[in-house]
Amino acid sequence: MAGLLIASALLGLAASVAGAVASPRSRTPLTVGGTVAACAVAFAVAAHVLATGEVVRFHTDRLLPLAGFTLQLDRFGALFVAVSAGVGVCALIYRLGYEGHGLVSRTASSTLPLFVTTLLLVPAAADVTTFLFLWESMALTSLLLVLADHRYRPEVRVAGQWYAVMTQAGAAAILVGLVLLATRSGSQSFAAIGEAAPHLSPWVRSTAFVVIVLGFASKAGAVPLHVWLPRAHAEASGPVSALMSAAMVNMGIYGILRVGDGMLHGGPTWWWLGVMALGALSALFGALHSATSRDLKRLLAYSTTDNMGLVLLGVGASGLFASTGHRSLALLALVASLLHVVFHAVFKGCLFLAAGSIQQATGTRDLDALGGLLRRMPMTGAIFLIGGLGMAALPVLCGFVSEWLLLQSMLHGLPTADPAIAVAMPIGVGVLALTGGLAAFTFVKAAGIGLLGLPRTEPAAVAREVAPSMSVGGGILALLCVVFGVAPLLVIPAVTGAARSLTRTVAPDPLARGWQLGLSGVHDVLAPGILGAALVLVVVAIALVRRRLQPGPVRIVEAWGCGRELQTAAMEYTATSFGEPLTRVFEDVLTPSHDVDVSHVAESRYYVEAATFHTSLDDAFERRFYDPANQMLRRWGAVARKVPNGSIHRYLAFGMVALIIVLVVVA
Amino acid sequence: MDESAKRNRGSLQLRHVDAGSCNGCELEIASIFSPVYDAERFGIRLEASPRHGDGLLVTGPVTRNMVDPLRKAHQAVPEPGVVVALGDCARDCGVFRGAYGVEGAVGDVLPVDLEIPGCPPDPAAIVRALRGLAGT
Repeated sequence: MAGLLIASALLGLAASVAGAVASPRSRTPLTVGGTVAACAVAFAVAAHVLATGEVVRFHTDRLLPLAGFTLQLDRFGALFVAVSAGVGVCALIYRLGYEGHGLVSRTASSTLPLFVTTLLLVPAAADVTTFLFLWESMALTSLLLVLADHRYRPEVRVAGQWYAVMTQAGAAAILVGLVLLATRSGSQSFAAIGEAAPHLSPWVRSTAFVVIVLGFASKAGAVPLHVWLPRAHAEASGPVSALMSAAMVNMGIYGILRVGDGMLHGGPTWWWLGVMALGALSALFGALHSATSRDLKRLLAYSTTDNMGLVLLGVGASGLFASTGHRSLALLALVASLLHVVFHAVFKGCLFLAAGSIQQATGTRDLDALGGLLRRMPMTGAIFLIGGLGMAALPVLCGFVSEWLLLQSMLHGLPTADPAIAVAMPIGVGVLALTGGLAAFTFVKAAGIGLLGLPRTEPAAVAREVAPSMSVGGGILALLCVVFGVAPLLVIPAVTGAARSLTRTVAPDPLARGWQLGLSGVHDVLAPGILGAALVLVVVAIALVRRRLQPGPVRIVEAWGCGRELQTAAMEYTATSFGEPLTRVFEDVLTPSHDVDVSHVAESRYYVEAATFHTSLDDAFERRFYDPANQMLRRWGAVARKVPNGSIHRYLAFGMVALIIVLVVVA
Repeated sequence: MDESAKRNRGSLQLRHVDAGSCNGCELEIASIFSPVYDAERFGIRLEASPRHGDGLLVTGPVTRNMVDPLRKAHQAVPEPGVVVALGDCARDCGVFRGAYGVEGAVGDVLPVDLEIPGCPPDPAAIVRALRGLAGT
């Protein structure tokens, strides 16, 4: 099995080399073929590990100096490898038909396979050096891919800067935390750190945990470290944004769990309350911004922040239960969180691929410029609808199952006597309920404004369905979205195995096997299969009754507009107007800014010549925290630039002063 | 009319369209809902939207600018929408016949089911005619 894992990595590298040396025409098929093969092999290895529990190990002394290169794939890591591989296959198939300008370049063609390969290998890294090497490779390759379109759109460069800074700051935090753990426990292997961790001082453990959680949270897009995410995911091309949003952000969750549960074996209550708070804040903030955003991909990116927040909420709840001795509930919450990671990858991959198709067909991501796409792009529209229903966590689609389990795990924590749980769980339940509602609102907005109604602009009116391979890539994920929603037990055993291998808990299996989901010790059951069958039956019954009751053929006429002559798309709801009531309700959080400019005719001020209205919705964290920080850095930079002014005398003086200081210190 | 009376069963909801009237007919329509004539006791009501109506109550000659709105209003009425041409202008353009802004009588634009003559028609005549449609 270790050989196969290495074979997968080598296939990815070969695809990357092919992307660099092949002719422009054969570049795309070669890289896609190689990367899909790499993903397929990695998926097979991960499936084998998940099924048998065998741990795959690989070590070589060569690749990295001093430390060597160590891989070790257990069930927990294999779950993430499987998710990355699945998303990778779909995104790469989609890539075949994608006509982005930037992705055909030599750099991007050779970077994309590398990025996918690092996504496959990060969860298998078994020591600090290997992990950081792969983590940095993942960050750098994804940065290059985000920047692929930089020649065509200047916003891409800004997004790249934000991403580079945030991801490097996160990596630095992870480095500090892992190095702290490695030096204190005397070994850099994850397993050895895990053995030594219980004997470390609480200060070291807590410092390392906080620093590492912050580092990984920036990758998972948790508020307030999320600022790069709506920019980078929106500006990246279709397949890349799907890979980032469905596979890369998961690595943040992976890291937090691997360190918090796998290496430190849980910790005091406040760690997990902190994680829950981080998750709740991200979920609410992300859901609000995604409900009010008018940029399709920005909306999806904020929804990623929202969903990662829900996962963190579940992870925090699981840690909280574990730290207060509720083993069975802890396992349930962990399974629910991991399940949400998997299902989020499925529906968000679906949505980002469909959004990429829409952007390619219309040239815009602005919802207010779209409309009526379901009729013009039926396949893309269907994929978007299914993914969107999954995002809205509606029954018989996959998002529902994982959010239901999250809710159950938190609800069943309510009767416990522990004060921390008694306070945290109701808040968690409230957050989950509110974000669920907002996600449904977001779906209605995105699908209603973008896919239905009249086209609002010319490009939307002449949009054509995209290449079949793009529909296939998104279609596989859409199909999985339905299959997992109806039959979640296809994946739940694997996820439970992954959660057990991480926590090594002996608690009973929280979810009964069979055709329905039953929680052990609780009476609630969920039978998604029956739910799905009932839904189909109801739809069929309504259709039959309607056909029966209908007297004649349906006459289709224009909507009644008081006989108005010019009934145009300008009279439709827009994304902005649809979200306006919500913006008003949450004015204190979203702080929208409005600007009305009225200019008068020169002859008389009583006549208005033109009126322009401008409204914008900025990220509050960005404006209140990051902008001042940027300005401060810029000021310091300006001051620092004055010090080396080019005068040789000054430089000599610096040397002199430095020498004196050194002499004084040494003496 | 008998068929319409049977169908409406004592309830006639009409959307009023002023296609270019001098407002004389409107005054009389207003007065049929006054306490004196009280058309509502016969189930006759004016509706705000043609979507909720059984038909249209059209007054005045159809001016050019009102041709399309009148057609759209007729399309918006659920089938079979009745069209009542109220007043002489609606029937044959009356004194406005041949005027530059007039397209024609209501009958030139829509199939008319009931005509109520008069310039303007007497409220009692309007109520009597509409009762025939309502079947009351």
